[in-house]
Amino acid sequence: MKIHKKILNKNVLAFTIAVSLLSSCGDKKEDVNKDELVETVDTVKTSVLNVGGELFSVPSPIQTALLIQKSGISYDKSTLHASNKVNTFTTDFSKSLNLGIYGADLGYVSLYNQTQDALGYLASVKQLADKLGISAAFDASTMERIKNNVTNKDSMMVLVGIAYRGSDAYLKNNQRTGISSLILTGGWIESMHFSVTAYKTKPSEGVRFRIAEQKQALGSLIKILSVSTEAEVTALTAQLTELSKIYDGIQFKYNFVEPVTDTTKKLTYINSTTEVIVSDEQIALITDKIKEIRNKIINASQS
Amino acid sequence: MKKFIIALSFVSIASVFNKANAQCDTIANICAKHIISTFISDGQQYRALLLNSEETAEFQTTFFGETTYRIAACSGTSDGNLIFNIYDQDRHLLFTNRDKKNAPYWDFKVKSTLETIIEAQLDANRNPGSGCAVMLIGFKQK
Repeated sequence: MKIHKKILNKNVLAFTIAVSLLSSCGDKKEDVNKDELVETVDTVKTSVLNVGGELFSVPSPIQTALLIQKSGISYDKSTLHASNKVNTFTTDFSKSLNLGIYGADLGYVSLYNQTQDALGYLASVKQLADKLGISAAFDASTMERIKNNVTNKDSMMVLVGIAYRGSDAYLKNNQRTGISSLILTGGWIESMHFSVTAYKTKPSEGVRFRIAEQKQALGSLIKILSVSTEAEVTALTAQLTELSKIYDGIQFKYNFVEPVTDTTKKLTYINSTTEVIVSDEQIALITDKIKEIRNKIINASQS
Repeated sequence: MKKFIIALSFVSIASVFNKANAQCDTIANICAKHIISTFISDGQQYRALLLNSEETAEFQTTFFGETTYRIAACSGTSDGNLIFNIYDQDRHLLFTNRDKKNAPYWDFKVKSTLETIIEAQLDANRNPGSGCAVMLIGFKQK
C-alpha cells in the first residue's frame, strides 16, 4: 500500500512525545468512545507499513489450486513437497520459503479432501513456525479449528486462509516482514508449480492464462524481496528477475467495459476483458524456471 | 539531557507504535467479520495509518476472471469510516463506495482477469483526525 502525502510533519520528536503522553492519558476516553480513531504520527506509519512504505498483494495459492481442480486435474501427491523434510531446513531463509510452500500444499490437499495428507502438512507448518520462533503467528485456536475441520474441505479452505492472514498481520506487527515476504514467495512459487505441472499433465486455456496472468504478482514479489541485502534473498530475487524477463514478452490487450452495479445485492459486475497472448515457448521457459527455483528451495539443505 | 530526550523519544515511539498496532488489530478483527465464510481470505492484511483525510493509501492487485471477490474496508470500530475506490490499469473508475454510504464491504463478479489499483482514504465527514485503514480481500469461484 502506497501512501500519497499532502501534508508533511514537522518537529516529529516533539509531536511524538506529545501524542504518546496524550494517548497514554486517553485510555479511559477510548473506553467511552470506541469509535475514536487512533492518533498517530508519521514515524509510526512508516514502521507499520510493509516494505519501504508500500504494501503489495500476492494472489492466494488456494485460488490457483481451485482453478486446477476445476480444470479436471486429479489429485497427485507426487506434485507436492514431501511433508517430512522439515528438519532438513537450517536457515531462516529456507525455513520461511518452505513454510510458504507447505501452506500452499496444505491448501491443495485440503481442496482434494486428503485428510491424512492434510494432517501431515499441518504438522509441517506448525513445526516450521516453531523452528522460526513464530509459532505465535499461527493463532492456536485457528490451528485447532483446522485440525477439527480437516475432513470438511470448505471449512479447511476458509480456515487456512484465515491462518495465513493472521500470520501475515503478526509478522508485520513484529517487524518480521522479511519472513512474511519469504512465506508469500514460497506460497507463490508452489502455486506456480501447481499450475505448470497441471498444464503439462492436461493442457487447458484456463491454466495457461493463469500462468501468464501472474506478471503483476511476480513484480510485487521482486519489489518486496529487493528490500533485503542478504545474499540468499538477493540470489532469489535475481532468479525471479530472470523469470520476469520471460514475462515481459507476454502481451495483454485490455478492453475497458463499463461495470454494472446492483446496489441491492451490494455487487458490481466487472465486465472488462483482457486478451492474453502467450506462446508455448514462453510457457515452457516459465515451467523450466519455476522448476529450477523450486528445486533450489526444497533442496536447500543439500546445497 | 540529550540522552534522556533520545531515550524518551524511543520509548514514546515504541509506545505509540504498539498502541497503533493494537488499534489496527482491533479494526482488522472487526473488518474480518465482513469476509464471511463463503469467501476464502487471500491470506493477507492490507493496513496503513493515515494522518488525515487528504492522504490516500493505495495498492495494486490482480482480479482473476471467473471469480467473485469481496473487499472489506474499515477504519475505527464502526462501519462507514473509510472510502475506497477501485480503478483499472488505465485509471477508469470501476467502483467507489463513496456513493454507497461508504459501504464497509462490496462484492465484485469479475468476468476476465484484470489489473486493478485499490485506493483508500478516511472520510473527512466522519474522521476529523488520523486513523488506521484496514482492507481485506476474500474470493470464491463463480
